[in-house]
Amino acid sequence: MSSRKIRAAGAALAFGVAVSGCALSGTGGGEGAAGDAAQEVASGEVTGEVSLQTWALKPTFTDYVQGVIDGFEEEYPGTEVTWLDQPGDGYSEKVLSQAAAGELPDVTNLPPDFALPLAREGQLMELTAVDDELEATYVAGGLEAYRYRGIEGTYGYPWYLTTDVNYWNTDMLEAGGLDADALPTDLDGLLEQARTMKEESGEYLMSRTPGLGDFAAMGVEILDEDGTEFTFNTPEAAALLDVYRDAYAEKLLPKDVLTDTYLGNSQLFTEGKVAWSTGGGNFIDGVIESNPSLDGKIVPSEAFGTPPMYVQGVSVSANTENPAAAVALARWVTNAANQEAFSQEVPGIFPSTLESQENPDFTESDGTPQGDAKVLAFTSLAGAEVLQPVEVTEAMATVVKQQIAAAVAGDVTSAEALDVAVEECNKLLADQ
Amino acid sequence: MGTTNAAPRTPATAPPPTRVTARTGARGFSTISPRETVVRYGLMVLVVFLTIGPFLWQLSTSLKGAAEDVYTRTPSFLPTSPTLEHYVTAFQAVPILDFAGNSVVVAALVVGGNVVGATLAGYALARLRFRGSRLVMAAILFTLLLPGEATLVAQYLTIRQLGLADTLLGVALPGMVGMINVLLMRTAFVAIPKELDEAAIVDGANAFQRFWRIGVPNVKGMIAVITIFAFIGAWDDFLWPLIVLTTPDRFTLTVGLQYLSGVFTNNPRIVAAGTMIAFIPIVAFFAVLQRYFFRGVDEGAIKG
Repeated sequence: MSSRKIRAAGAALAFGVAVSGCALSGTGGGEGAAGDAAQEVASGEVTGEVSLQTWALKPTFTDYVQGVIDGFEEEYPGTEVTWLDQPGDGYSEKVLSQAAAGELPDVTNLPPDFALPLAREGQLMELTAVDDELEATYVAGGLEAYRYRGIEGTYGYPWYLTTDVNYWNTDMLEAGGLDADALPTDLDGLLEQARTMKEESGEYLMSRTPGLGDFAAMGVEILDEDGTEFTFNTPEAAALLDVYRDAYAEKLLPKDVLTDTYLGNSQLFTEGKVAWSTGGGNFIDGVIESNPSLDGKIVPSEAFGTPPMYVQGVSVSANTENPAAAVALARWVTNAANQEAFSQEVPGIFPSTLESQENPDFTESDGTPQGDAKVLAFTSLAGAEVLQPVEVTEAMATVVKQQIAAAVAGDVTSAEALDVAVEECNKLLADQ
Repeated sequence: MGTTNAAPRTPATAPPPTRVTARTGARGFSTISPRETVVRYGLMVLVVFLTIGPFLWQLSTSLKGAAEDVYTRTPSFLPTSPTLEHYVTAFQAVPILDFAGNSVVVAALVVGGNVVGATLAGYALARLRFRGSRLVMAAILFTLLLPGEATLVAQYLTIRQLGLADTLLGVALPGMVGMINVLLMRTAFVAIPKELDEAAIVDGANAFQRFWRIGVPNVKGMIAVITIFAFIGAWDDFLWPLIVLTTPDRFTLTVGLQYLSGVFTNNPRIVAAGTMIAFIPIVAFFAVLQRYFFRGVDEGAIKG
């Protein structure tokens, strides 16, 4: 089922881009258009109708979003916001078909990887031309996520940010002869403790194979600067794979991490089958909701190496009929006050605005593991980076996963696996 | 389901000497040893478990209390503190009945379209001789080869140009005559002995009379099959209605139930309850139709 879905998404994506390319060849989204937009935004009055599309926020956050919209309409009299909320599944297909039909909402919540194909096709407004305050308002990492290799400009206002921290099952640690106060802080420590646990209780600590994110976290360059060639087949990456291959041979990882039955370390963690998982600042709440018996048995700690940064943002349609109001709305949704209020609603997500970074609400824990996780996640964000380039498509990720699995299983050498993965990914990249 | 699909016409060609139903038919050929019985039942239980296991798990998840673990090391199917509160929550969180009503409209359109359209087309391809009939067959076969996802966006642009974006008719239209159903109906009509048709022609019956009085009565089983296929297809479809529909009031059940699993809120018990609510009509539909479904297996064409 899931692989069919992925293929479906891939096909729809490729086709959608092709179609939108044809549909728009007449309008042109180049620099001339950007210049016009800048003028319209600068001189245009913020009034009239404007549409906002969010992703799976109804019905839980209806009140919050409605409050933001009401505030906007009050701030700019004469504006009228139409709010659309799309269901969680199939969002990428929905957005692409909207774009192909030329009916992309004026302001749309798009994660960087969904925004990329639209930016390539000139469907999104380039924001540096219309807004001089970007750098002064948002954290650099958030903006960076909407700047793509090979395309000039910034294509989204950063909205909320998340990152991963480590989570540990204290019951399992104790049974495995480990101390929850002396958690591992790097891969070597992790391997050592996994070995202890394996010997003491026969349980697993680790349950994941490395990915592009892990390579990037070690400082390996994944994609070159122009975005034309993958470069992650380095000796450092191969060495990391070797470490995992040896760990797998030593049975420190469950067998099915390499097969399709693998549900992900967070699922295994929730089931109480492994003692370690990574997850966002609100991961702990979800686990306890599913399995209340884990309440009080989970402690968080900082991620190993460079923490990943996950960015959500809002983009403005290049074809909006009301550019001034659309840009104003995008700024409004992502302003510090609204973002801070949203982070209060959802523990574990954090504002991307610079002025919110000193807010004591995020830096002081209430003493619970949930509170600790939140603070840890927030403090990690300062050093977090977008690890996996957004140019990596589903198809590329699959190729990489397969090659890494082959290397970890010991079927091919790590260097060979990485060479094949790079070659295949470059082919896929060239075909786009 | 798969076997009945392939089987419908076989008893007609080899009527067994004694009256034997399809289910006990095996006994007519030879008696089986007790050991084989055990093996057969063992395999059957295994397949039943594999097929309905995930379903049972969803059902049990939807009934588990908030204080109960959903994911355990060994899956547990019996809730220790069963509750219906998640169904109540699901009903309160989203207007499920309105969504279900929309789904019913779409399903009715699709089922109606397929029963009428696929039956007529199948009969035409099986029994009528007209210019280009081979071409039509080839075209139908080729469209079957195209994955639906590949045409998704083009289909949406078409529906939009017809002015049907954000309407239930727009959701139903592309599925109203399924090519696979046309093929199934054609196969069913082909299996009716030609002699019956020829006799009717001698009696002076025109094409429509032959279709209505000889064709249709002999393919009721297959009509039940495509009805069920069309219903399930329309009821379960998610991506297409999601793309066509914009106004939440018009969402079908599969799309609307997505509201139960938001980005930061994902209570597996409520999601499971929503899944069960969407699933019940399919069970009911199949239960009502299964009589015809299996009767189609027994029906022979030449009965007199």
